[in-house]
Amino acid sequence: MFGGLLSFTFAVSIGLPLPLALLLAVLATAAIGGITERMVIYPLRNAGVLIAIIATIGASIFYKSLGRIFWPEEAYKVPDFSAGNLPIPRATVSTQFLWVIGLTAVSVVLVYLFFGKTKAGKAMRACSINRQAASLVGINVSRMSFYSFLLAGALGGLAGLVNAPFAKYSIGLFLGIKGFTAAIVGGLGNTFGAVTGGLVIGLLEELIPGFLTVVLGISSGFREAVAAIILILVLLWRPQGILGKGVMEKV
Amino acid sequence: MESNRLQGQQGGRKIVRVCVNIFQHNRVFILLAVFLASLPFWSRAVSRAIGIDLIYVMRMVGVFTIVAVGLNLLMGYAGQVSLGHGAFFGIGAYTSALFTVKVGFPVWLSIIAAVFMAALVGFLVAPVLRLKGHYLAMATLGLGIVAFVFFRELIWLTNGNDGIRSIPKLALPGIKITTRKGEYFFVWIVALIVLALCNNLVRSRVGRAIRALHQSEVAAEAMGIDVSRQKIKIFMLSTALGGLAGGIFAHLQGYISPGTFDVLLSIELVTMVVVGGMESIWGAVAGAGLIIFIPEIIKAVPKWLGEAPKWVERYSLYEGLVFGLILMLTMIFMPSGITKSLSDMIRYRRNPIHNPFRKKVVE
Repeated sequence: MFGGLLSFTFAVSIGLPLPLALLLAVLATAAIGGITERMVIYPLRNAGVLIAIIATIGASIFYKSLGRIFWPEEAYKVPDFSAGNLPIPRATVSTQFLWVIGLTAVSVVLVYLFFGKTKAGKAMRACSINRQAASLVGINVSRMSFYSFLLAGALGGLAGLVNAPFAKYSIGLFLGIKGFTAAIVGGLGNTFGAVTGGLVIGLLEELIPGFLTVVLGISSGFREAVAAIILILVLLWRPQGILGKGVMEKV
Repeated sequence: MESNRLQGQQGGRKIVRVCVNIFQHNRVFILLAVFLASLPFWSRAVSRAIGIDLIYVMRMVGVFTIVAVGLNLLMGYAGQVSLGHGAFFGIGAYTSALFTVKVGFPVWLSIIAAVFMAALVGFLVAPVLRLKGHYLAMATLGLGIVAFVFFRELIWLTNGNDGIRSIPKLALPGIKITTRKGEYFFVWIVALIVLALCNNLVRSRVGRAIRALHQSEVAAEAMGIDVSRQKIKIFMLSTALGGLAGGIFAHLQGYISPGTFDVLLSIELVTMVVVGGMESIWGAVAGAGLIIFIPEIIKAVPKWLGEAPKWVERYSLYEGLVFGLILMLTMIFMPSGITKSLSDMIRYRRNPIHNPFRKKVVE
């Protein structure tokens, strides 16, 4: 949300050139992520996961209201990154879609390289597997947690602003569920799995309700439940994801 | 004669001792009951002074206490996170409303039907309990969304977004409950019974079993506890309590629509449990009270200020700000919940606020 709103502010209200405005917006969301980590997650490092979840929900309610106060209107128009439609006969596809797909591809590759090749990325993965062992081999766990929030903030901001020309004010929780479902379907901790999962979820979400409406005559409002149902079924039957390898269960 | 009187005296003392004993063992319970019973006598004056209708709000606190206790059994004691309890609350509300409006059942019977329906649905979705940690949280969140979409889309049954109107008021066989005070007493009597039962449950064999499986399922299994059976049982109890609260809620409101039972409700319920204090029956009461009262207090603040400042116009925006802030601060400074912090303060004279920013030598 902040990604889109901040890029609007920088680009339209202040009147910066678009690329600079976008860069500033991403940096700002990264900073917000970092501040949240220092203020909320760091003090709770010894408390349970659930406590941290509730605290971050508090933070998200706080930020949402803050956004509402600074940007009170329902909708803001962020300019498209480039004008015009794609030259495809009998279809209207905005070139903004190309930007979305291109930036997604670039960030997927960058994230993959970061987690697979760099020292910091590997250290972060070690922290997610076992914090204690990670700190034993000399990784500064709390700094890694800080970095991961910076990264998540920046990526969230990027996602917000590339989609800003399409999106509504608050896309909300359903998007989070879909993201998680995509990650689970593809297999957690597998960057390309997440992309596949995203494609699968997106397609099923369009196809299943369409099928239901045309063949069975059921209302297409069930669309929002599709991702959730897929999530539950995959979790129950293939918790390692469609692409993931089997994992040994502790008995 | 002399010995008889002595015996009488001793008998009297014995009764006193038993009473003191009962009081000491159920101190919180009795204090809560006395407080609740006395509330209607002084509520009117206080309500007028602070601009919040206490009886009205306390009814809701009672309803949410019932759900929160059930959820605390599941989350606090058995350690199984549910981010979909709003769904069972909704199932209870819809079941009870539909049974009275469409079938014509008496209210008390349809509330019982709501309890059984919620428990039945809980039983049907119990396989998700195989999951652990984040996965369980996400799966139950998914359940909440599915239920919400069904409430909205099964239009022939639930009227969709229009909701169900003119649901009859609460009633017992022979008694019609018409006043707010009557509703208040009904809700809290039910809530106190639930609290008493749950308080006994967690101190019983089953209570020890679910706490054992919270610590380690493997170890619990090794001690001869049928882990999956216990999990399903406690989950069903918890969903049944959700259904009970939902049923009562429908008859208090008189009108229900899907919007009430969305994912935010589930998150609010979890917040009640965590803010109040996990593994604490009384924490559920405190949490429900706090989470219901905070928005009311925030709404009442402009009234106290008298002359409304200019920014009050958009004041509703600040509600979320304050609510989010309170949530964060409670979690940061009282991570074990309000009840635990306060009881530690009374019992051990410990500072209820712990400062996590202070440096510790070893983590």
